[in-house]
Amino acid sequence: MPFLIDCPNCGRRSPYEFKFGGECKQPPKPEADVKAWCDYLYFNENMSGVQEEWWYHAMGCRSWLKVRRNTVTHEISKE
Amino acid sequence: MLTTQPVLRYKQPERHYDVIIIGGGLHGLAAAYNLARYHHVKRIAVLERRYIGFGGSGRNTEMVRSNKRAHETLPFYKESLEMWDGLSAELEWNLLVQKKGLIALAHSDGELAAMRMLSDSQRRAGIKIDMLSPGEIKKMVPSLDVSDRTALPIFGAQFHPEGGTVHHDAALWGYAKAAARWGVDICAGVEVTGFNIEGGKVTGVRTTAGNIAAGKVHVAVGGYSSEIARMLGVKFPVVTIPMQVMTTEVMAPFLDYYVASPRLHWYTQQTLKGDLILGGQLDPWQSWNSNTTWQECSERVAFILEYFPDLAHVRVVRSWSGLCDCTGDSAPVMGPSGIEGLSLDIAWGYYGFKSTPACGKYAAEYIATGKVPEKIKHFGLDRFYNRQRVREIII
Repeated sequence: MPFLIDCPNCGRRSPYEFKFGGECKQPPKPEADVKAWCDYLYFNENMSGVQEEWWYHAMGCRSWLKVRRNTVTHEISKE
Repeated sequence: MLTTQPVLRYKQPERHYDVIIIGGGLHGLAAAYNLARYHHVKRIAVLERRYIGFGGSGRNTEMVRSNKRAHETLPFYKESLEMWDGLSAELEWNLLVQKKGLIALAHSDGELAAMRMLSDSQRRAGIKIDMLSPGEIKKMVPSLDVSDRTALPIFGAQFHPEGGTVHHDAALWGYAKAAARWGVDICAGVEVTGFNIEGGKVTGVRTTAGNIAAGKVHVAVGGYSSEIARMLGVKFPVVTIPMQVMTTEVMAPFLDYYVASPRLHWYTQQTLKGDLILGGQLDPWQSWNSNTTWQECSERVAFILEYFPDLAHVRVVRSWSGLCDCTGDSAPVMGPSGIEGLSLDIAWGYYGFKSTPACGKYAAEYIATGKVPEKIKHFGLDRFYNRQRVREIII
């Protein structure tokens, strides 16, 4: 197992129980132009380092979590 | 007495070049070779931060094929597949090109129908494709279980006779040697740390070996493209996901074809050496870590054993993983970057190896002429803003 995720409901669990939801992004305002929405939809920071990301505990409590993970070392850090 | 000459000598970069190529993988070396040989660019440097072939070029599963879907990309992949044939002679280096044929299995009627439609798109682009019945598959691959015993029985398959394998290290050294012969400086251990941009035009790169001025800069860094994006202060439409590959111990030849299951995400082939290469699934999360996991290994092995039950005693001896920078539409990004003099050849995901020859050709053409060639005009970064994303499939 490459790393474990601290689920506030279920404890430290295997990442294979989760569905990865991608990096956390700030959506543009509804009145923003098409370019801003395309940037939001298709373009990613794709961080090689610590990033905040979404994980869905599909085989557990079925809630969405925000996790800070180092994408190079898989180290999970507290905020 | 036997003397051994090194195949290639790395060079220290000079202070000025006409073209700098970032990334000493297959795409970078192919672009450098084509620029030097066909566009007569004199001073070219390939900057590689580790050693040539460290990334995806040496980590892929050596598959070459053109059975993709989108009408924008099919002529490109077709040309690339044809270019492999003449490449050994051109580079004066045996690339071990073996067009053994690729069998893609269908596990349901619906999948077979989708495969027929896919085949029609491919035939329309001039690619040879046949459909196979389970009986025909059994004759070609006797060790494959086509009975109803399996979890998802085989309903048929698509046969792509021109698909096959090319030895990736041979291809890499072939391109590197040929590029060096045509005067390209291949500099390993030189990491690019930033760009010098003046008035919207790139004038050079900052590296661990000092500043290097350049007329043009070409980015061919494979899975590491977003690190370049951060130096430029932009974002690319990619997510980096590793793909894991395994090999088994060496066996007597028994598998003549590349066999794949797009539905269950596995493929396997027996190399010339005799070991099986197993792979086919991207990791389930974004990562820049190239460790391999037991979960991935056991899942691929379980799926493959379901269809090759005779392999039950065979051991997996080695596994590795490589980074793929995947776009949402499974098509690459090639051409202008929005900064004058800086061209891109990124986002190749897990389909970069087979596209190397055509990629080198058209990247070089774009760098030399400044005009986007017809065959890569659909690969531009602007497609994400103009609602012209490529309708490609993930296989």
